[in-house]
Amino acid sequence: MSHSLVSLACHAYGIAAVVYLAYLVRQSEALAMAGRVLVGGGLVLHGVALFELLDVQAGRPVGMAQGFSTLAFLLLAIFLALDVRYRRPVIGAFLTPLAVAVLLPGLLMHGGQSPLPPGVRQPLLPLHITLALLGLAAFAVAAGVGVMYLLMERQVRAKRFGLLFSRLPSLEFLDTLNRRLVVWGFIALSITLATGAFFVTTTRGWAWDGKSIATVVAWAVFAALVNARIFAGWRGRRVALLTMAGFCLVLVSFLTSYEPASSAAAVMRMP
Amino acid sequence: MELVCIGLSHRTAPLGVRERLALSDTRQVEVLQRLAQSPVEVLWVSTCNRVEVYLSAPDAMAARDRVVEELQSLGGAEARDHLYEHRGEAALVHLFRVASSLDSMVLGEAQILGQVKDAFERGQGAGAVRGELTRACAAAFGCAKRVRTETAIGRAATSMASAAVQLASKVFDGLKGKTVLVVGAGEMGELAARHLQQAGATKLFITNRTLARAEALAAEVGGTPRPFEELFSLLTAADVVVCSTASPVPLFTRENVGAVGKARKGRPLFMVDLAVPRDIDPGVGTLEWVHAYDVDDIQKFVADNAAARAEEAHKAGVLVAQEVARFVKERALREGMPVLARLRQRAEAIAKAEVDRTLASLGDGLSDKQRKSIEAMGRAIVNKLLHEPTARLRAVGPEGEGNRLAGAAAELFGLIEQEAQVAAGLSEDLAPQAATGAKR
Repeated sequence: MSHSLVSLACHAYGIAAVVYLAYLVRQSEALAMAGRVLVGGGLVLHGVALFELLDVQAGRPVGMAQGFSTLAFLLLAIFLALDVRYRRPVIGAFLTPLAVAVLLPGLLMHGGQSPLPPGVRQPLLPLHITLALLGLAAFAVAAGVGVMYLLMERQVRAKRFGLLFSRLPSLEFLDTLNRRLVVWGFIALSITLATGAFFVTTTRGWAWDGKSIATVVAWAVFAALVNARIFAGWRGRRVALLTMAGFCLVLVSFLTSYEPASSAAAVMRMP
Repeated sequence: MELVCIGLSHRTAPLGVRERLALSDTRQVEVLQRLAQSPVEVLWVSTCNRVEVYLSAPDAMAARDRVVEELQSLGGAEARDHLYEHRGEAALVHLFRVASSLDSMVLGEAQILGQVKDAFERGQGAGAVRGELTRACAAAFGCAKRVRTETAIGRAATSMASAAVQLASKVFDGLKGKTVLVVGAGEMGELAARHLQQAGATKLFITNRTLARAEALAAEVGGTPRPFEELFSLLTAADVVVCSTASPVPLFTRENVGAVGKARKGRPLFMVDLAVPRDIDPGVGTLEWVHAYDVDDIQKFVADNAAARAEEAHKAGVLVAQEVARFVKERALREGMPVLARLRQRAEAIAKAEVDRTLASLGDGLSDKQRKSIEAMGRAIVNKLLHEPTARLRAVGPEGEGNRLAGAAAELFGLIEQEAQVAAGLSEDLAPQAATGAKR
């Protein structure tokens, strides 16, 4: 049931991606509205499916497939919120294809879920996982916006007044959006790191494995980024590049969560 | 008298060449006085996008060579490669198109007509624009007015200033809350200030070398005038800078703009240079936090808009062709044929008519030889009769005494009435409104 719902949602996202790419070429309010409805509809189906799963699993997305699926859901939810707030549908042309790319491997990997060992019923674990995914989604959107910034900046600098130049939002808008997303993502990442550290130290003691290194480094990168923005007036190109680098690190930390040897899996297997 | 146009514009020459040829008003007058020695007439049109010299002279080629030399000495050897040239009617068409804003970087922009009018007045003031060019300019201005009122080309026209505002909106998310600095309170500065104000710029500072002009413009558009000495402290506060001064050297260089970078804390700065020669050195644009655009960049930007107005441009082109044809006809009529030729034509026509009548009354009995003798006699009487007046008129030349003699001849032989008749008939054909106006 839930799998077919997700697959349906994925189709809606796929069509939305095509619609948004068409919007990029030919700006029309009708296309923007179609994209909005498709993403919204997909999110409802997707949300129902995730809710069913989480209900069964006591609030924890388990396994990489569900992780990816939840990530895609959050990413598009953030996009829809941004679209409602700022009315810049063109962002969809960059984020909907990204969401489909995130969701597809999850759909293909379907069936790999295992029942949760009863011992991991940490009360803070759902919060940890939700915030981790939310932060990751915020960074994904920020990285997407960073790509848009770099593209636009190149057009503006090279004085090439083509399609992208006329369609993309202003540099200031993209930079401001990046700042907000990074700040929210950073808060989520900080809480994730704190709760994760708490689990690890209370269960089996802190260990510098791949996951904790990637997460701590990513946190440090974003901490430096937020600081440089606030205190040194950094903005624009280098911030966009750093955001993308930071996102890659967080992604690595996310992927390593599902390695059997990783700490999260270890936590989950703890009796 | 032949009309020739030599020049270069945004279509043929890069900004670097154009800015060397952008002369101050006083220098233009100097050049005009050097080039326009009677009977040569010269009109020097100079805007940020073009430098064009229109000349009217009996020996057009010699005058043309002097102009090319002048342009070359001002703009360097390189300038020669970018020159274009139109002669006769093509030069007229070009003048009409330029005045009607059909050759402008921003098609249909209104400023160019004012600039051509300024050039015209300057030329008249310097004595370089006299009869022939005055008439051509008047007709061109009339044509521009028709284009403006009868086509939609001016309505959608975006000026350089509004293009600059559109560009700014690609860097900033709207101009609300932004601080704008207008450097140079000339016509361009005024346009820019108005557009920026309209786009929602909150703080508008205007600075000018002569503070009084900045004050006048600020009062008009609702900005704050500031002395020119504060230029760089104003730059520190500004988000958008639009400059259009007549400064022969760049006001802003990589060094002096870079120096305010620290105080700005990385805030982006959008700079538009509407001046030729440039106010902003190209090096400024290499600063990470600066986005600098010059007039050529803006041309690239508005190229799309120009395409959208192609249809109106076509309509306007038809109007220009009509107006040129009208001018050419009127000129032919005005100049007419010289008195001598007209006199001869008249006499020959009379002789031919009389010969034909005589031949007709004599009937078919005449041999070919007899016929030819009678025709030859008619021509001989005309030639002998006109020999003396022709020789005398030629001897005194076209000016002064000759003018008086020619006038007398025209009057004695009734040539003036004939011209008036033709003129009346023609003007009725060409301009019905004018004719009805005359009747009223």
